[in-house]
Amino acid sequence: MSMSERKTIDLDQGWDFMQKGILKLKNILEGLPEPQFSSEDYMMLYTTIYNMCTQKPPHDYSQQLYDKYRESFEEYIVSTVLPSLREKHDEFMLRELVKRWANHKIMVRWLSRFFHYLDRYFIARRSLPPLNEVGLTCFRDLVYKELNGKVRDAVISLIDQEREGEQIDRALLKNVLDIFVEIGMGQMDHYENDFEAAMLKDTSAYYSRKASNWILEDSCPDYMLKAEECLKREKDRVAHYLHSSSEPKLLEKVQHELLSVYANQLLEKEHSGCHALLRDDKVEDLSRMFRLFSKIPRGLDPVSSIFKQHVTAEGMALVKLAEDAVSTKKAEKKDIVGLQEQVFVRKVIELHDKYLAYVNDCFQNHTLFHKALKEAFEIFCNKGVAGSSSAELLATFCDNILKKGGSEKLSDEAIEETLEKVVKLLAYISDKDLFAEFYRKKLARRLLFDKSANDDHERSILTKLKQQCGGQFTSKMEGMVTDLTLAKENQTSFEEYLSNNPNADPGIDLTVTVLTTGFWPSYKSFDLNLPAEMVRCVEVFKEFYQTKTKHRKLTWIYSLGTCNISGKFDPKTVELIVTTYQASALLLFNSSDRLSYSEIMSQLNLSDDDVIRLLHSLSCAKYKILNKEPSTKTISSTDYFEFNSKFTDKMRRIKIPLPPVDEKKKVIEDVDKDRRYAIDASIVRIMKSRKVLNYQQLVMECVEQLGRMFKPDVKAIKKRIEDLISRDYLERDKDNANLFRYLA
Amino acid sequence: MHKLGRGHRDKLQQFITITGASEKIALQALKASDWHLEGAFDFFYNQPQLKTFTDSRHLEELYNRYKDAYVDMILADGITVLCNDIQVDPQDIVMLVLSWHMKAGTMCEFSKKEFIEGLQSLGIDSLDKFREKIPYMRSELKDEQKFREIYNFAFGWAKEKGQKSLALDTAIGMWQLLFAEKQWPLVDHWCQFLQARHNKAISRDTWSQLLEFAKTVGSNLSDYDAEGAWPYLIDEFVEYLNENGIIQNGLINDSSLKW
Repeated sequence: MSMSERKTIDLDQGWDFMQKGILKLKNILEGLPEPQFSSEDYMMLYTTIYNMCTQKPPHDYSQQLYDKYRESFEEYIVSTVLPSLREKHDEFMLRELVKRWANHKIMVRWLSRFFHYLDRYFIARRSLPPLNEVGLTCFRDLVYKELNGKVRDAVISLIDQEREGEQIDRALLKNVLDIFVEIGMGQMDHYENDFEAAMLKDTSAYYSRKASNWILEDSCPDYMLKAEECLKREKDRVAHYLHSSSEPKLLEKVQHELLSVYANQLLEKEHSGCHALLRDDKVEDLSRMFRLFSKIPRGLDPVSSIFKQHVTAEGMALVKLAEDAVSTKKAEKKDIVGLQEQVFVRKVIELHDKYLAYVNDCFQNHTLFHKALKEAFEIFCNKGVAGSSSAELLATFCDNILKKGGSEKLSDEAIEETLEKVVKLLAYISDKDLFAEFYRKKLARRLLFDKSANDDHERSILTKLKQQCGGQFTSKMEGMVTDLTLAKENQTSFEEYLSNNPNADPGIDLTVTVLTTGFWPSYKSFDLNLPAEMVRCVEVFKEFYQTKTKHRKLTWIYSLGTCNISGKFDPKTVELIVTTYQASALLLFNSSDRLSYSEIMSQLNLSDDDVIRLLHSLSCAKYKILNKEPSTKTISSTDYFEFNSKFTDKMRRIKIPLPPVDEKKKVIEDVDKDRRYAIDASIVRIMKSRKVLNYQQLVMECVEQLGRMFKPDVKAIKKRIEDLISRDYLERDKDNANLFRYLA
Repeated sequence: MHKLGRGHRDKLQQFITITGASEKIALQALKASDWHLEGAFDFFYNQPQLKTFTDSRHLEELYNRYKDAYVDMILADGITVLCNDIQVDPQDIVMLVLSWHMKAGTMCEFSKKEFIEGLQSLGIDSLDKFREKIPYMRSELKDEQKFREIYNFAFGWAKEKGQKSLALDTAIGMWQLLFAEKQWPLVDHWCQFLQARHNKAISRDTWSQLLEFAKTVGSNLSDYDAEGAWPYLIDEFVEYLNENGIIQNGLINDSSLKW
């Protein structure tokens, strides 16, 4: 016959043959002298399985072979693997385990190949676990489950040794931990539950012990260095042998034990804690502190709180220093007026520069620290010094920079930079409206008396203020600067008018500055009785002005005027630079040799205050243009005055200053009045839109609306509400006294 | 009268004494409230006033008796004569109640309209009826709602014509008169505070809110709400009491207070 029939293999016979192959494999794994499988060996083993699975029933031995496949592993593990592991401990056990696992995987691979036919048909048809999985499961169930606890402990022990600085076999640990991962067959549950949980717990205990010693022994910076180093090393550990998924959990434990638990103790260490670091400008340590504490929940809260306390204390120290300096100087009466206050502002600017740099660099622009800085500055920047509010001090500081002959000698760049910083400080001041009023007052003086050093700087600071506080804040100031520009043009027109109209002759040189009411601070406009020479000037200018506009009204403010007068004294002629008031008084003596106080007062038509002030400047101060009887230091209403024809001075031209008027009180009164109007307007606006509103809500909305300019006192709001009730804008609800109604 | 038991007769007499009501009206009120005095008062005061017929001619005669010789009004002198006739002191608080009934615009003045319409609303057209009505008007001060109306009426009545506020001295006098009826223990402190710290006229709002303050805030001020809508002056008063040790930890600490 050409076809020979294949001989049937029975189970025992076939399995006996397979046993020989498996034994060969075991010998290879055990390192015994055994030649490698030849391709012929492989083919024979594979074919045997194939044949036994494809014979006609009852000789199809697929199920039996599947069972025996599993039994092969189990037998090998029980007889060889486990005994070799059980006899070993610690690191040696770990090494053996790694070797056994590697061998096991090899065994699974080879046997899976021999029994491959089962995977293709029998296992597929029956939906049984694949051969590979069966093999791995055997190891897990027999070896892993018995030993994983001991393995875990050994691994953790080695980790702790490494933490103590000892050298360990990292590759070994990596291989061991890979077993935990691979045993999971795609899931992390074995790694997480059987190893990671215990490792994290041990980590906590380890660092808790360490921290409890370090917190006692180490300074704050040293402790932080250690903490940072520990975190770095734990990160390294993950990179070298832990699974990457452990990193956030591991670091969280370390951070908790080293930082969260001891946060307060660490930060508040008396000589090296956060306060001390700030005091001593330990920038590097503070940066480290930020990096560390930013990693723990709410960790930055105490740091920013201490930062705020520190900055506040520094600021309050500046306030105290300035107060003390001012009172010392007052006792000595030697100081330039307000110099100490100016030094104070300069120091506050420096303080802000310094701590803003901290916020931007050490604290990486974190919002908590910006907030802390803001709140700290808001506390001491609203304190004021020596009876002057910060709003006034800042305005004076700006004036000093912007005016001619100020005590500061700064380059253009330095001026711009300084003004920028002042405007930044203004953000911290509650009473911005007070600053605006003081600033306007001083701006007016710079502009009207030609004391402004640089137009560009004047406009530049207004631009900065506008950016920060809004257009409404600067509109009047901008109007003032514009008025001065227009006034120059107007003067040019006036001079053209004079040259074109021979009949219009003021008789003396005349310059007039036209100002827009509302832009400028309010000035007293007394009906001064001008000398005849000046009356002529006024009339000529009025005629000129009528040619330009017919509907505007001119109000003359003589208190702001300046005159140049030739004083003909016996020794020599001296040119006097005086105010219009002073000039008017002096010109009275062209026609009278001797005048009483009351005669001067009635002829000039000025108030007592003005007359006293001006006569004092002419008879009791440095330049005694007038002789006073009696010869005392103060003006009284019974005095008499004569022209001092013997007066002389080494200079040919002198300026006779009026004693300065303290305008602070008036500015504050004006601002208070404006605030009352602002509160009234706000309340009416709110009530007009709401019609009915309860008291608490009305107050809250009012404070909110006005907060950009000033912080209204609740009592002030309450007073305004009562006033509006009296004026029939509001009424209380009949049944609920807490409820207000708008009256149309 | 023999039909009434002794208890009922006593209550009837008490009601008549307090309200000045007629026996018939008193009986009606007591029966409606099942002979409970408090209920009877409520019933009586809440009833719309029965329009008693008044003789216009008699009212005219009364008006002419007290009217000023030159002005068609009753002025201070006329009021003095009126008080004499009805046997009431001009300073008596019942004159305030009368002014309230008359809707008098100003203290010490009654226009003809005010006088005649006021007396009509009270059912008075003779001096005898006037005298009979005095106890009734006095008793109205015991009704809380009426007291409030009279109190708030007093502000406009007592202030100078054309002014918005009430002069301080006048206000103090009025408070002493009014709170004599209500027994507010802090009234003297309030007046002292105003003279020491305020020394200015009193606004209508402060005037009316003070009554609420006296009624709603306990005399130990433990329930005072400084964050509330009380007028500024009352806030200041509470501060003053605390500063001067008159009120401490919610307890009155003034031995001069008599309970």
